[in-house]
Amino acid sequence: MNSYKLRPPQVIISLFLIILVALSYTLQMNLVTLFNESMVKMVMNGVLVLSLIPMLNVGAGMNFGLPVGIVGGLLGMCLAINFRMTGFYGFFMSLMFSLVFCALLGWLYGLILNRVKGREEIAGTFIGYSFIPLMNYVWTLVPFTNREMLYPIGGRGLRPRISLENYFNHILDDVAVLKMGGVEIPLGLLAFFALVSLFLYLYFRTKIGRATVAVGENESFARLSGVNISRTRLTAVIISTIIAGLGICVYAQSYGFVQLYDEPLSMAFPAIAAILIGGSTGKKTFIFEAVLGVYLLQSIYLLTVPIANAILIPELTEILRTMITYGVILYALLVRERQGRSIDY
Amino acid sequence: MEDLLTITQLNKSYNGHPALTNINLSIKPGEIHGLVGANGSGKTTLMNILFGNPVIQATGGYSGEICFEGRRTAIKNCAEAIRLGIGMVHQEFALIPDMTVGENIRLGREHTQAWTDRLFGCQYSFVDRQKDYTAAQQTLNRLWINLDVKLKIADLTTNLRQFVEIAREIDRTDLKLLILDEPTAVLNKRDGLKLTEILKEMSKRQIGILFISHRLEEIQQICDRVSVLRDGRLVSQYKKGSISINNLARDMIGHEVNKAAAAKRAIAKQPVISFKNFSVRMPGEEINSLDLDVHQGEILGLTSLSGHGKLAVGYGMMAMYPVDGDVYYQNSRIARMDARANIKKGLYVLPDDRQGLGIMADQSLEDNVIFTANQVKNKFVRKSALAWLGFIDRVKSQKHVTAMVQDLDIKCTSVRQAVKELSGGNQQKVCIARALTVDPQLLFVAEPTRGIDISAKEKILQMLIEINRSRNTTIVIASSELDELKRVCDRIAVMVEGKVFKILPPDSSEVEFGLALSGEEGADNEQL
Repeated sequence: MNSYKLRPPQVIISLFLIILVALSYTLQMNLVTLFNESMVKMVMNGVLVLSLIPMLNVGAGMNFGLPVGIVGGLLGMCLAINFRMTGFYGFFMSLMFSLVFCALLGWLYGLILNRVKGREEIAGTFIGYSFIPLMNYVWTLVPFTNREMLYPIGGRGLRPRISLENYFNHILDDVAVLKMGGVEIPLGLLAFFALVSLFLYLYFRTKIGRATVAVGENESFARLSGVNISRTRLTAVIISTIIAGLGICVYAQSYGFVQLYDEPLSMAFPAIAAILIGGSTGKKTFIFEAVLGVYLLQSIYLLTVPIANAILIPELTEILRTMITYGVILYALLVRERQGRSIDY
Repeated sequence: MEDLLTITQLNKSYNGHPALTNINLSIKPGEIHGLVGANGSGKTTLMNILFGNPVIQATGGYSGEICFEGRRTAIKNCAEAIRLGIGMVHQEFALIPDMTVGENIRLGREHTQAWTDRLFGCQYSFVDRQKDYTAAQQTLNRLWINLDVKLKIADLTTNLRQFVEIAREIDRTDLKLLILDEPTAVLNKRDGLKLTEILKEMSKRQIGILFISHRLEEIQQICDRVSVLRDGRLVSQYKKGSISINNLARDMIGHEVNKAAAAKRAIAKQPVISFKNFSVRMPGEEINSLDLDVHQGEILGLTSLSGHGKLAVGYGMMAMYPVDGDVYYQNSRIARMDARANIKKGLYVLPDDRQGLGIMADQSLEDNVIFTANQVKNKFVRKSALAWLGFIDRVKSQKHVTAMVQDLDIKCTSVRQAVKELSGGNQQKVCIARALTVDPQLLFVAEPTRGIDISAKEKILQMLIEINRSRNTTIVIASSELDELKRVCDRIAVMVEGKVFKILPPDSSEVEFGLALSGEEGADNEQL
């Protein structure tokens, strides 16, 4: 029914990726290692990208307020670390704590977004930007006692980067890794990613899930059919926020650190760029689009670093990343503007 | 006297559908020329051509000849129409709400400070507000209107806005022809009289006036000549003295051959739903304290001119707009409007705006048809331990929708086809299929045949009759197509200004309907 169409961003990015692969091959890099890493990178960022889908489908646009969910996840992890929960138990409890925090934050966030219908994206951006400074106070003032997470000097306030070395570093990355020659497929990590995807897939097949899509597509239609618009939107925002919380836990265990303070702010744009590269135009989005987008974008990020280093322009990496990320968002806005105009002449 | 405006052999069609056919019309200086016609008869198209509305050029222009003051002209845009000396008072106000009365009246013709003219050029010189306000005040005084020119338009009542709009045109010194599009539709009787006085005064100054109105009484009073449009043709023309309201009403509605029709029958007067003092604040279609009983098992027609509230009844019941007053459904009062609860009780609204309210364009026919029944009545849910999550039983839903497609004769490639790919008539059938899936007791239908080709129209009307007869569903059809209502309905309520003006049997004469629609009491005052 829904045939997938290739749009300019995917074509450009895919071409770019092919050039990069060719370049790295000629530069005699280890393509197998890069491929292994690309799998990890995909899931590491992928859950955050998946978290955008419920809000896109309910018509609340791209979740520029992603930091809200991320903060929930960070709170969850900090709590787990504070209680010195390690290994699987620690990671699992992080997820559980995150779930609770994110549900609460998502509920508040959703209430605000219901009041700014039609301008959720800009509102989300500013909610993110005003929420982070507030959280900066929280990070410095929360009475956590685990010395490993506090500033080494003075012993008060959380440090900006908390190492997960003794807790759940790479806990998912290292589960059930399938080795075939040099190729390593992190089955555990992929399974977690698949689980979240499956959850979303099933969610959109439930009654409230179908109502969600209906509200996103035609709000008046849904209202005339007796759908409670506010509640449906609220549910979608909460689910988005919860998945974002889980997403940052997955990200942190791969990255090895819990990054606090201003770090969540920089996470929304790459996630949004990824889903746009996948083919979303800010409306109904398929899980496949999120997966494809995040794989393409993260592979490019991954490849640009060694290549740029090899051809001696290290700054190029960051420039390219920024250009791709923001350029794609701009492109999506342009496309949507054109579509909007064609509808109302 | 030479004609101010002559139209000869004017033709205009939109995408092959003729909107105007062979129109010949002339207006003399100082003449008040009335133009009447039912909705969709081509009045608006004619005005758009005369005032150079870009819509006309965008849809392929027109054929025929328009002569203004003896010279053949082609009016390509509004600026050109204004330059020729044509003014227009719009039905939807073309005023800027955030500017004052004075600024609106003088817009585009502002007095400027002479010294800045030289300094910056005319386009950028300063506006002499004081002089503008004085001039605007003088114009308003000429209309005997007592109004402060410094008020903002947004703060005025609709009546006053109408007068400001007229004042803006009268203020022009170069005005030769004034087109008024139903200027009295929003005015009460007294203000309407005031307006006719103004028009008479203008005609003394040799300004030609094209006056479009649904109020036949006014037309009779002030017009020197009246032309009647029906289905894009000029059907008749009357001179002052020989204008009769009954003739106008008959010509407006016309004699159409009856097609698919419902048999007449007697309906027990047992109300299924009663509106008492019911108001719906739907912008542009307000209902003000409506009192109406709908009888069990009948098909009730609701008709009115546009803007008089026929559409708002159903939408009000679905809480789409704020409502007021009491509604008794099956003898119990509906305390709070709630779409979900009302659908559960057996009410359903088939909307007029199909694209905006009736379909989810990107989704499949199947998902559209089952949506409401699934959401509200939990139909088609797969029976399992997870039933509370509401996964769809696709086997069941596909069977149902396939049967619906056959019953209603929906043309599609499969039930999984996206609704946006279907034609307008088939989309309407999808909407009806969705309604039937919910299986309502009381169905509100708004403009069921709007934008649908003629053969599909008949099928849809037939469908509504069948639903009523076989399922004993009470149906309220709000429509401006009087001819269709007369064929289908048991009773027809004519609404004027948000109230039921008169309830007529469907076999009443066209004249009676014409009179009722215009809010005129007929010669015989029998109420039904």
